[in-house]
Amino acid sequence: MIITKSKKQEKIASYIERYKSFFLIGCSECASLCGTGDEEAIKQLKEWLESEGKDVTGWLVAKTGCQILGTKREASKYKDSLERAECILVLSCGAGTQSITELFPDKTVIPVNDTLFIGNMRRFKEFEERCRACGECFLAITGICVVTLCPKSMLNGPCGGYKDGRCEVNPDRRCAWVIAFDIMQKRELVDRFYEDILGPKDWSKANSPRIYNAKEKKTDVT
Amino acid sequence: MLLREKLLKGEFVFTVEITPPKGPDVTKLINKLSQLKELADAVNFTDNPSAMMRMCSLAACKISLELGFEPVFQMACRDRNRIAIQSDLLGAHALGIRNILVMTGDHPIWGDHKEAKPVFDIDSSLLIKLINKLNDGFDINGNKLNGRTEFFLGATVNPNVEPLAPQLKRFEQKLKMGAQFFQTQMIFDIEKLERFMEYAEKFNTKVIAGIVMIRNKKMLHHLANNVPGVVIPNAIINKIENMNDEDVKIFGIELAGSITLDIIRKGLCHGVHIMAFSNVEEVENLLNYIRN
Repeated sequence: MIITKSKKQEKIASYIERYKSFFLIGCSECASLCGTGDEEAIKQLKEWLESEGKDVTGWLVAKTGCQILGTKREASKYKDSLERAECILVLSCGAGTQSITELFPDKTVIPVNDTLFIGNMRRFKEFEERCRACGECFLAITGICVVTLCPKSMLNGPCGGYKDGRCEVNPDRRCAWVIAFDIMQKRELVDRFYEDILGPKDWSKANSPRIYNAKEKKTDVT
Repeated sequence: MLLREKLLKGEFVFTVEITPPKGPDVTKLINKLSQLKELADAVNFTDNPSAMMRMCSLAACKISLELGFEPVFQMACRDRNRIAIQSDLLGAHALGIRNILVMTGDHPIWGDHKEAKPVFDIDSSLLIKLINKLNDGFDINGNKLNGRTEFFLGATVNPNVEPLAPQLKRFEQKLKMGAQFFQTQMIFDIEKLERFMEYAEKFNTKVIAGIVMIRNKKMLHHLANNVPGVVIPNAIINKIENMNDEDVKIFGIELAGSITLDIIRKGLCHGVHIMAFSNVEEVENLLNYIRN
């Protein structure tokens, strides 16, 4: 899922200073699991805005904010309150925020959250980055994503900086390649892996902005 | 005789290390090089070590060449993508630089530009492969160059790390990719070096051991805690903690000297690389200790 974090109140305050009336849009998917786009988050934002003397004309939690047409249908039910708002505050990831920007070209659309990474949830509201959407998955070889979990994205084994199996960049973490090496040993893949060399990685697959047409199986990088 | 010839002939080499200046003034650099060239076979210029921004290694190499002191161009993968790496290498070659020591490089988090985007487009094994392709007259994508480079190519290895197995596999991979010599991370524990050399011997490569002189307690703490990949045995840490700084300095030279002598007597490695952090006097002290 996409991990988001609420911006600091002072930051939001600086963005909305010149506006009086607001419509709030959350998202029931990732942002809800992060606690940054659910009903509770919307209510807290609403209370704070009202305490600052602002008007909240209405709110909705979009089912999937990044699904542009679905969100358009849901928002159409709130036509009046949306029209009355000078500004829309979006409690989702950056993708969801831009759905709203596209749907309401005449309104000011402001994100309430910062978008952090694609994450796994370990415990409730505890997230870890495991995949960075690099466009070419090596997990079949390495077991864990060394492109993401190694801060140097090493493709061919650890650097020389680990100590007692811990990463030089963050000693709280195990070296991603020490973990990957263990996995490869268990799968009896080590010797085969080192017969060759992995890479150089085709980073063009990660160039932004990417589009993908699943119907035509067509990826385009512009 | 060049470093390449000395190593290949089996002559024991002494190399030293200089970190290029933080700023445009090269007066001190030139002074140090003029003194060091009488003491060592070659000088490595570090590539923004610990991700601290400095003058580029390439320019320092050229200055050294002009002074008649053979340089080793250290190149890390942290700050350049494959285009910039190849471009710099071709430029270095045109300027007469032949010795390259490649490494992945410390992460920007250690340096004075922590907000910088880490590049790490390719890792050091791939960089070795890349340089060998340049030596064959091709770029990394197989495009033909208008000639071949003649780089003498070194790689790094860290015999201190635990677990050692993944490090040994990388060492083998670097050899397979065409590394012609190796330089180790700083050695404080001769047994770990012996353990590694026992493994390395069967590959018939040249290994230069990294040696450092601990100057004072502050430096000890810095090396032990802030330099990736450096492992100092607790016995040495405890011993130094009970000394005053004057004694530490003497002990530092004795320790580095005795490790070096051990390496020479046992025929463990093919040279030592003295990391004196650009301090000429310390290089002299160590060499005097060894000779006496």
